Amino acid sequence: MFESKSGILGIAGLAFFGIAFLSNAVIPMLMYRNLPEQKAEQLINANVRYQFEDLARRFPAAFEKTYGSPPAETKEREAWLNQKCADALRLGRKVYIAEACWHCHSQFVRPVSNEERRWGAVSASPEYANELQRPVMFGTRRVGPDLCREGGRRSSDWHAVHFFRPADLSAKSPMPEYPWFFDGAADKPNARGLAIITYIQWLGSWHETYPLYEQYEASPLQDMQVDAVPAAQQSPATQARKATP
Amino acid sequence: MNTPTVTTPAVRRRQLMVTAIMALIVLVPSLLGFGNKFREFILLFRGDVDGVFAISPIMNYLLAALGFFCLFGWAMLHGMFHDIEEPKRHFLETERELDRRLPNPPIA
Amino acid sequence: MTLSLGRAADSSLEEAGAPQPAHLVDAQLVETRLVAFYFLAALAYLFISMLGGFLMALQLVHINPLRGIELLSPGRWRMVHTNAIAYGFLANAFLGALHWAIPRLTLKPVFNRTLSYLIFVAWQIVVVSTAVGIVLGQAQGLEWGETPVWIDPVALLGLVLVTINFTIPMTQARGPLYVSLWYFMAAFVWTPLTYAMGNFVPEYWVNGTSAGAIGGLFIHDLVGLFVTPLGWGLMYYFVPILLRKPVWSHGLSLVGFWGLAFFYPLTGIHHFLYTPIPMFLQYGAVISTIAVEMVVTTVIVNFFGTLRGSGREIVTNLPIRWFYTGMVFYAITCFQCALQTTMTFQALIHFSDWVVGHAHLVMFGVFSMWLLGIMTYLFPRLLGRDWYSRTLCEWHYWLSAVGLAVMAGDLILVGVFQGFWWGSLQMWDVSVDGSQPFWIVRVIAGVAMFAGLLVFLYNLYMTWRLSTAPAPETARLPAATA
Ligand code: HEC
Repeated sequence: MFESKSGILGIAGLAFFGIAFLSNAVIPMLMYRNLPEQKAEQLINANVRYQFEDLARRFPAAFEKTYGSPPAETKEREAWLNQKCADALRLGRKVYIAEACWHCHSQFVRPVSNEERRWGAVSASPEYANELQRPVMFGTRRVGPDLCREGGRRSSDWHAVHFFRPADLSAKSPMPEYPWFFDGAADKPNARGLAIITYIQWLGSWHETYPLYEQYEASPLQDMQVDAVPAAQQSPATQARKATP
Repeated sequence: MNTPTVTTPAVRRRQLMVTAIMALIVLVPSLLGFGNKFREFILLFRGDVDGVFAISPIMNYLLAALGFFCLFGWAMLHGMFHDIEEPKRHFLETERELDRRLPNPPIA
Repeated sequence: MTLSLGRAADSSLEEAGAPQPAHLVDAQLVETRLVAFYFLAALAYLFISMLGGFLMALQLVHINPLRGIELLSPGRWRMVHTNAIAYGFLANAFLGALHWAIPRLTLKPVFNRTLSYLIFVAWQIVVVSTAVGIVLGQAQGLEWGETPVWIDPVALLGLVLVTINFTIPMTQARGPLYVSLWYFMAAFVWTPLTYAMGNFVPEYWVNGTSAGAIGGLFIHDLVGLFVTPLGWGLMYYFVPILLRKPVWSHGLSLVGFWGLAFFYPLTGIHHFLYTPIPMFLQYGAVISTIAVEMVVTTVIVNFFGTLRGSGREIVTNLPIRWFYTGMVFYAITCFQCALQTTMTFQALIHFSDWVVGHAHLVMFGVFSMWLLGIMTYLFPRLLGRDWYSRTLCEWHYWLSAVGLAVMAGDLILVGVFQGFWWGSLQMWDVSVDGSQPFWIVRVIAGVAMFAGLLVFLYNLYMTWRLSTAPAPETARLPAATA
């Protein structure tokens, strides 16, 4: 049995693979079966809608060229905007994947290493139960900052200029330039440009902390010194864990 | 280097000793470490609602591993692996044979 | 056919005129031409992959000369970089080496030679279209699963055909199996399963956190159930041949096999620790990772036990040196693995360049080293001619080994720095600017590795030139001692 070929093919090959699939893939699937997958349309909230309409105000020509002009009647207009916004989210996610943004940016906040202070609330599973997170954009490398609470933190203008030439806003930024999101100038985003900005503005828009600003005041490290235990003796992990309820 | 390795009883006993010592060096600290951590883990999670969830996969792993270990022992008792070292020599001989048949055999 | 491989090793077994024992009658055992083709394809993709990595490295140190060009976007080329290594270099080089090793181990040719060539062509189409698809912006969002949608089924079909082609002769082999065949058989079951799991499930059926769990499983299974077993299987095959003595303990090697088979698939989630994936699954992955490291230790002990008494071969025997350098790197990687899989370590080093260093250490330092060593040994036999220049072979080795060691050490170190910069809530730019010196060193190390490859290609070209020239009668095939 162990020494035979069928043993190798059956036990090592199929059975062990099966056990692993069962325990590492089927169990989480079962655990989250009560979180049905949300479609992009269901993900539209007031925050991202505001950002989307903001794009229409900032880049009227580009917006009209990409999406056409909205119907005049209020109700139709609402439905139209929601639909276009959902389309933009889908395309934005596609661009995010195609350009490998996720090879340089992560989309989850860990409960350690002071990440809650930098990026806000720790990520939770329900935030990911949607079409735009299939496959999930957790990411494995951070050359740039985490983006899962990025929405609303910066203006769409800022993003447009940043995608056009990151170094203009953030000197010595190693982030690549994406001139092909634009028709020649930073104020003329094309379909992909509008979509990726919408997508970025959507990130975290569902969360009560939206919009979350990075704190540039005095370093929070100073507050920690008032703790009973001198900060020097705590690892960042302990400190973060203490902050978690 | 064509001579097959001779395994006299003395050599075999020495090999057994080396294996046993190595096994002890690896197993004792790792089992101690693991047991200790596992105990801590259980203590940590016992009062918790999700605690069972945390402990059960580890128990499952241990049980599955134990099951395979028993199966393995059973297989050995039933005569498998009795000449476990044979294939490694056999394969080298065929290799040599294959090379010998070349028009220009590599200088071995 | 332009390559003159007529004098190659096994094709002339029959004419040797020696009496043929029954089990050796099938003379055309190894399709040497195909082995050479696979190796050449592998080297071509290694070349492309290194160019992609180089582009990204230049981008990070702000001297990318090709900025703002859509088809040369560093992000896209980073994906080409990783995919070309996995599916272009490693898969092709493995297939080449397997086309050599499996027939000689089983004394049976592959199931069907035409199928072999078909697979070769199909696989090159798969790899090239993957690269083209990625460059055109059709990637999918899973590392190593970026393969555009329309290629996934073709690639899977190719892998299934590979399995059929090799598994049939293996099941027909007589006698108790040698450990290499254990690894190969299992790997051929695992690889298509893994590929199917990673390229379909998280893309079509499962979202969010569970997709993350499966994604982790996929990235890790691809290393653990495709690359690792094939790599070790080949080492168990080539090392004894080159050292002209059997492995230290066949029994211990089987412990390694079963340990890998059981624990390796369970480790996937360790790529996503501290994510919303349920904590108990994360702990499970951590535990099995540590178990894997113990298993790996037995394998390493076994190989160094084999080397005992033949230590000088490291100096004199070039392929052996490649192999054992890889094993030293393997030992380092696995030690690193056991540390970095713990939650304490993860808090610090996750997301940082530590991980990138680790990946290079495994993929280049271990598996590429082994495969390049195998090529160093096999090309002379395939071409029927010893290397044009042994010195160039040495250069290839030293440039690759030192380059890799510097790159990995450099990235692992900067990873620790990055972890502390982030954890101490410094502005993000601090970590980016602080990494610059390290990233510059990484470029230099990468250039060294690339130069090594160029030296190898030149050496190969010259060897091939010589092999097509009429050779003097006295020319002998290089021996296993090289
Ligand atoms: C080479 C790695 C890299 C790639 C690829 C990359 N980025 Fe960045 N990104 C960075 C770095 C580094 C920063 C921080 C410096 C800066 O602001 O430019 C950054 C900053 C950002 C920011 C600003 C975050 C903030 O609030 O400070 C956003 C938004 C962003 N990137 C989005 C993207 C998107 C969308 C893509 C894909 C189209 C992308 N990035 C691709 C490295 C990268």
